[in-house]
Amino acid sequence: MAISFKSLSYIYDKDMPYAHKALDNINLELKEGIITAIIGETGSGKSTLVEHLNALLLPSEGSLEILDYNLVANQKIRFLKPLRKDVGLVFQFSEYQLFEETVLKDVAFGPLNFGYPAKEAEERAREALKLVGISENAYQSSPLELSGGQKRRVAIAGIIACDPKIIVLDEPTAGLDPKGAKEMTDLFVSLNRKMNKTIIIVSHDNEMVYNVCDETVVLSHGKIVYVGDTLDLFNDPDKLKEFDLLEPQIVTFRNRLTEKGFRLSKKARTLDLLSEEIAGQVRK
Amino acid sequence: MSLIELKDVGYSYNGEQKAVDGISFSIEKGSYTTIIGHNGSGKSTLAKLMAGLLPVQEGSIRIDSLPVSEENMPKIRERMGIVFQNPDNQFIGSTVRDDIAFGLENRRIESADMEAIIDEYAQKVGLSSFLDYEPQNLSGGQKQRVAIAGILAMKPEIIIFDEATSMLDPKGKKEIKKLMYDLAGGDDITVISITHDIEEVLQSDDCVVLNKGKLFMHDRPEKVFAKADLLRKIDLDVPFIEQIRDTFMNKRIKLKARDLEGMAEELWRYRSNH
Repeated sequence: MAISFKSLSYIYDKDMPYAHKALDNINLELKEGIITAIIGETGSGKSTLVEHLNALLLPSEGSLEILDYNLVANQKIRFLKPLRKDVGLVFQFSEYQLFEETVLKDVAFGPLNFGYPAKEAEERAREALKLVGISENAYQSSPLELSGGQKRRVAIAGIIACDPKIIVLDEPTAGLDPKGAKEMTDLFVSLNRKMNKTIIIVSHDNEMVYNVCDETVVLSHGKIVYVGDTLDLFNDPDKLKEFDLLEPQIVTFRNRLTEKGFRLSKKARTLDLLSEEIAGQVRK
Repeated sequence: MSLIELKDVGYSYNGEQKAVDGISFSIEKGSYTTIIGHNGSGKSTLAKLMAGLLPVQEGSIRIDSLPVSEENMPKIRERMGIVFQNPDNQFIGSTVRDDIAFGLENRRIESADMEAIIDEYAQKVGLSSFLDYEPQNLSGGQKQRVAIAGILAMKPEIIIFDEATSMLDPKGKKEIKKLMYDLAGGDDITVISITHDIEEVLQSDDCVVLNKGKLFMHDRPEKVFAKADLLRKIDLDVPFIEQIRDTFMNKRIKLKARDLEGMAEELWRYRSNH
């Protein structure tokens, strides 16, 4: 199954003199079960695009099919709650959305809201917190006492506790220090690889995208300009130039190595994988 | 000559745990100093203390020998500007022109003189043709440039950038960093930047490393990054070249080169000799 946008447009302040078309006739298929990155300049429509995935925004024109739901422009929807349970959206700077008295209550809020009995909601919250690596002695503290990176993980736990099939993360690593960013990346990779969640990430971090995202969508001025394999995109100098993207450092390094005579596969997408390939050749 | 001097500076938000603890260092006039550290290391607290946004609880901060304190604040504010992280939270005017004018109005600059000043600084940040734009029609990088123009119009001696590029896209980051390098290039402005951006740190004159509220290192950036293992211990990133060195070290291949080209060459020679 796929998530498909069909001739979808979104216009902010429709019918107003300052109406602004943020998405322009989007035709796009996103695969389930993989990690997809959505990249593009600020203002290219990335957040607008992903806010359709759980019907925070509804198409002005066209439609979106996601799981068993169909969002059609100008049609009333009756499945908002089940859709929002199945598609969890983690906003940019989600740490600002924590509001409950304790960490545990904050994470249990989602499952309670979706109708799980109190006991099960708490169990789900505990499991989710464990998964994102928040230690048990923080469960009863106020979420506001945690560090920025921890707060963000609590916000993500709140989504995971609802057991969504698709998790959408809008710039999950922005503003985190390098260690926090790496932990965040490891977290959503394991959500995909171990728990089979479909992950969709909006990001500006091309290095991270290159390291872990299977497919990449490039948006520009509200239109799709690329959708396909992440490695193909970042290994194509013409495309990098056309879309004004920075070459990931690992690609630059691999190109230097290839110029010297090394024969290296494109699949070596992280430094660990690349060094393994090289070490194999050096020791032969 | 040192322009800013910190002596045993300490601060606690809750009276128990210290966010900043016993920090002493000085910053030279006209220099570009970066401050790095993990989330929660005390970077932003330190910036707020220097800018007088938080009261100094322990020790002292002096700017040109004037202590940063409540009674000196009007004088300090005249000499210092601060650019924050979120471009959306610091736009005050309804257009770029109004936004730059805001500070000037507060200083009671004659409106006849204002136009020329606004033009001068809009040009300096490359936004001359955007003066009548509203904030929602600007990119993040452009909004930050407006904030910088507003600060420059006040003719400050010191500008503090508190993770000013962290919310921007790669293009916006590049724009703002270029502007910061240009500002720091002259002798008139002392730049202090709190950042996670290693590329930026490498461009600065001095780097202050904080860890758990304490001063961990204060040195030239190349010297700081030469201690990659120490930095990693305190959860900081190291330049890509050091990451490569480490990764190959784990595979028992020792690399000495200082750039990518050199490392590729070294690895190829290594392969040919084996």
